[in-house]
Amino acid sequence: MSEGCLQQNPAEHSLPAGDRAILAILVIFIVFVVGVPKDNLPTVIAYGGFPLFVITALRLPFRLIMKRLVMLSPFVIFMAAGNLYFDQQPIFKTGGVQITGGMISAGVIAAKSFVTLSALLLFSHSVPFHRFGNALRAYGVPEMFATQLQLVYRYSFLLGDEARSLQKARDLRSFGRRGKDIRTTAQLIGSLLVRAFWRAESIYMAMSARGFGNSIPIRHFEPFTTRDGILVAAATLGFFAVRIIFLQ
Amino acid sequence: MHMSDALLSPAVGGTFWAISGGLIAWSVKKTALDQDGRKTALMGVLGAFVFAAQMINFTIPGTGSSGHLGGGLLLTVLLGPWRAFIALASVLVIQCLFFADGGVLALGCNIFNLAFFPAFVAYPFLYRTIAGNPLSSGRLGPASVIAATAGLLMGACSVVIQTTASGISALPFGTFLLFMLPIHLAIGIVEGLVTWAVVAFAAKAEPSILDMQHDSGKRSALVPAVFVLVALLTGGVLSWFASSYPDGLEWSMAKTSGMEELEGRDAPLHSKLSSIQEKLAFLPDYGFRPSAETAGSQEISATENPVNPGTSISGIAGSIMVLILAGAAGMLIRSSVHRTENAGE
Repeated sequence: MSEGCLQQNPAEHSLPAGDRAILAILVIFIVFVVGVPKDNLPTVIAYGGFPLFVITALRLPFRLIMKRLVMLSPFVIFMAAGNLYFDQQPIFKTGGVQITGGMISAGVIAAKSFVTLSALLLFSHSVPFHRFGNALRAYGVPEMFATQLQLVYRYSFLLGDEARSLQKARDLRSFGRRGKDIRTTAQLIGSLLVRAFWRAESIYMAMSARGFGNSIPIRHFEPFTTRDGILVAAATLGFFAVRIIFLQ
Repeated sequence: MHMSDALLSPAVGGTFWAISGGLIAWSVKKTALDQDGRKTALMGVLGAFVFAAQMINFTIPGTGSSGHLGGGLLLTVLLGPWRAFIALASVLVIQCLFFADGGVLALGCNIFNLAFFPAFVAYPFLYRTIAGNPLSSGRLGPASVIAATAGLLMGACSVVIQTTASGISALPFGTFLLFMLPIHLAIGIVEGLVTWAVVAFAAKAEPSILDMQHDSGKRSALVPAVFVLVALLTGGVLSWFASSYPDGLEWSMAKTSGMEELEGRDAPLHSKLSSIQEKLAFLPDYGFRPSAETAGSQEISATENPVNPGTSISGIAGSIMVLILAGAAGMLIRSSVHRTENAGE
């Protein structure tokens, strides 16, 4: 599991919108950012203002978010480096330094990653998982898939603790690389699988005893209010305005 | 191998959102026929198991580095293609939205690359074919290694195609592919070895785990779907990067006669057939018929930009025609065999 999670139970911040509206704004924002041409760094930086505004307005833990953001994926770094190497067409000169097309497009790749990732982290820090599942249901995502998401999320922390214990026990008994080979590790993973299998049986019996009927019953969905509609429209207009101003 | 939003165009990201969304809906429909609450709980817990198993690192032999299990093939072996696809997709959604691993727009691509290939291609066509039914312990090793490696390599190829089609990266297609394939070949072999060892352990310690999926034999509807998809991808996208050098026959003719194509004889039959072919060929030389003005400039633009809608249309049209002809030929053979059998009785 990725260790980039901010915290297990995100704080419920008093965002001025419902979960469905927040999800819609996140997707629209990312589509706008991704749609910026590969040589237009100023527009991506301008879009970075949106997550920064939310972080400061809601007093979210800036340091934690920044800490996660500096761990850019190696794949993104590889692709940005590829642009630096393969696109060496000179674009302009500043302070005696020749700026190439590859430098700009690599900067755009890194900036887009930074901005989209910060928006995602804001989302995960603002909307608890059970509310995210309900928002998906309200958008018409199949019940079975929404239930799966909630079960996987719920039990990943439980099994994660077991995996950590198994790994710690192995490491305490290992010297150097001995004991960390594929065969030994596969047996650990196999033990975890057998435990997971029996845990699933217990969970099913416990859930059946509580009336589980193949899905998690939801009494009512949070309505998509007029206020939500106005917020989604205003955010879309704002993103569109940034695009028009900076892409001129 | 998680794709990031920064490397995709909205068109490519949106297309794969639609494809992966459709596959999820299809898988939900398939599994909904079997309303077993036990399996629902099991899918959730095994999805969480993949998360947890990824925390346990192991040393990769000969490199000094460490790696972890991916889990795509293992989950498919345990749950069957449909349920494994849903569980893998839910793992990827959580990794994206709550652990910021991969992007929202890239989610469709990631589901396709990391869940579709192991669940719907590597498992039914390679793992099950090699491992046999009932499971043969002697063939479990080759089945796991070959299927895991093939699934990862197909996913890596798909990443290269999606990134190149998005036009964000300056990496040439061939160079990118040469970077991606060797590393994913190594990762795939290790993934296969771990999958083999875990399945073998589970088979000994708790054999009932491997009896959980019963729908794995039903692959008849999937076979044409997979072939159509692969054919369309090959014809529509990979055809852009086809070599412009002469093929073996043209090369041999060029070496012996100095010309890649021999000129036809002036016989009336030859010229008549040639004119019929020219009229019938709606996509001559695998592209749109050039107008008089554009004919000259076409060769130059083709070398600058390999992405050519004419080539894509030709590739897709050709693939569909071959599929129809192959299907018709198969049906003809089947009906003639059926007739022969009836006559024998």
